[in-house]
Amino acid sequence: MTLTVQSISKRYDGAAVLQDASITIRDGEFVALLGPSGSGKTTLLNVISGLVQPDAGQLLLDGRDITALPAGARRFGMVFQSYALFRHMTVAQNIGFGLQVLPRGDRLDKAGRAAKVRELLAMIEMPDLGDRYPAQLSGGQQQRVAMARALAIDPALLLLDEPFSALDAKVRHSLRGSVRDLQRRVGVAAILVTHDQAEAFEVADRIAVMNGGRIEQIGTPEELRAAPATPFVQDFLTAA
Amino acid sequence: MLRRTLIALAVLFAAVVIVLPVAAILSRAFAEGVGAWWAAVSDPETLQAVWLTVLTALIVLPLNILFGLCAAWAIARFRFPGRRALLILIEIPFAVSPIVAGLCFLLVYGAYGPVGGALQPYGLQLMFNLTGIVMVSLFVTCPFVVREVLPVLQVTGEDEEKAALTLGANGWQIFRHVTLPNVTWALVYGAILATARAIGEFGAVSVVSGAIRGQTMTLPLQIELLYNDYNTTGAFAAATLLTALALLTLVLRGAITAIHPAHGARP
Repeated sequence: MTLTVQSISKRYDGAAVLQDASITIRDGEFVALLGPSGSGKTTLLNVISGLVQPDAGQLLLDGRDITALPAGARRFGMVFQSYALFRHMTVAQNIGFGLQVLPRGDRLDKAGRAAKVRELLAMIEMPDLGDRYPAQLSGGQQQRVAMARALAIDPALLLLDEPFSALDAKVRHSLRGSVRDLQRRVGVAAILVTHDQAEAFEVADRIAVMNGGRIEQIGTPEELRAAPATPFVQDFLTAA
Repeated sequence: MLRRTLIALAVLFAAVVIVLPVAAILSRAFAEGVGAWWAAVSDPETLQAVWLTVLTALIVLPLNILFGLCAAWAIARFRFPGRRALLILIEIPFAVSPIVAGLCFLLVYGAYGPVGGALQPYGLQLMFNLTGIVMVSLFVTCPFVVREVLPVLQVTGEDEEKAALTLGANGWQIFRHVTLPNVTWALVYGAILATARAIGEFGAVSVVSGAIRGQTMTLPLQIELLYNDYNTTGAFAAATLLTALALLTLVLRGAITAIHPAHGARP
């Protein structure tokens, strides 16, 4: 799987929120979009997810143009900042939702869906909590359920929108490791949106630093530290 | 001391404004015995009025649910020209006196109005029959469902719907499995309030019903008619039926509050 983001631009009410953003995400890679609020990182993630249509530019998935493909047809698993768990469904129903809404022909049978949900519950280390409701879970548990729900559809790509921002510092640290671990085990490429450079440096293979709707620099944590391309990147990284 | 005074005031207020009048209805209705009450409520004209009232409520209910859901969804989820105007329009029935609303309907849909006049040659009459009663009842009750559902939709936000979208759900699946379960109780609550209002509506209905005895009399109109005929027992006996319908909606409301406390707590 290779996703190529090509010269994406987006304006809201005349203001440019994304300008000519290009980046390539390779198979199994963990990429962070790092920048201050208003830098366009969440908009770029929403364009990739299909929730927002760009004004210009292209998205290529293994060479195929998916720019006009609806969000549901892209099969990208998304974890929202608020987790957006379905509050009236149990944990198991939440995780199984993406399996259940498939057209009849593509859908696993009931037993197959239940087995898949059990497998995912075990993977997020919550094997006995399938009957709980989201409101009965801690923030960290909710985040893991959101991960499992996104992974249930065997996504081509995992999209993480500030998934740690609602957690307290201690939980955040331990969850960073487990999210990275989960992503490696499943072998899915992931894009993480964050404003926290420590977080980006800890989990990402490569980081795209964003500012004012542009991608200022893309590189590994070592490359960014060794050779910041612009004064903004330099300032943003040393401010930590 | 202050606490006791406040409680006493509240009890006194409830007694004067609510308990005494309801008790009076019952005592007057049964003043000449259960037999007289039964004779009054089983009068064909009164039964016809009960049937017309229930029929109207049953027709108005699904239309209210449909319109309320659509309007609330559109206002909560989309930005379109005229959105604010629609929000204000939906409030109008609360602000306009029902009798004025009835006159407006008569003016537009009556035999001499632009719409009613145009339909006249085809033998279609909108006013002074069930159609007219349903139309004004819809006007009077249409804000209830929207006003209950809209805030819930706005609070629950779009994130759950977006999540369902990225998981591959289509529009209907999102509505059926995500949106609707989140607003179910608000919807039921709004529908009950609207139904209670439709059953009790007097002003607007009195203008467009034509008050044809045994045909276009709803229960509130029938009660006034009986009262004006000096048929006190008949009027109060009919009033017990209307009160019973109102109490039934109260019980339903209470049941919902018991099942789903979070919603009942909202005003």
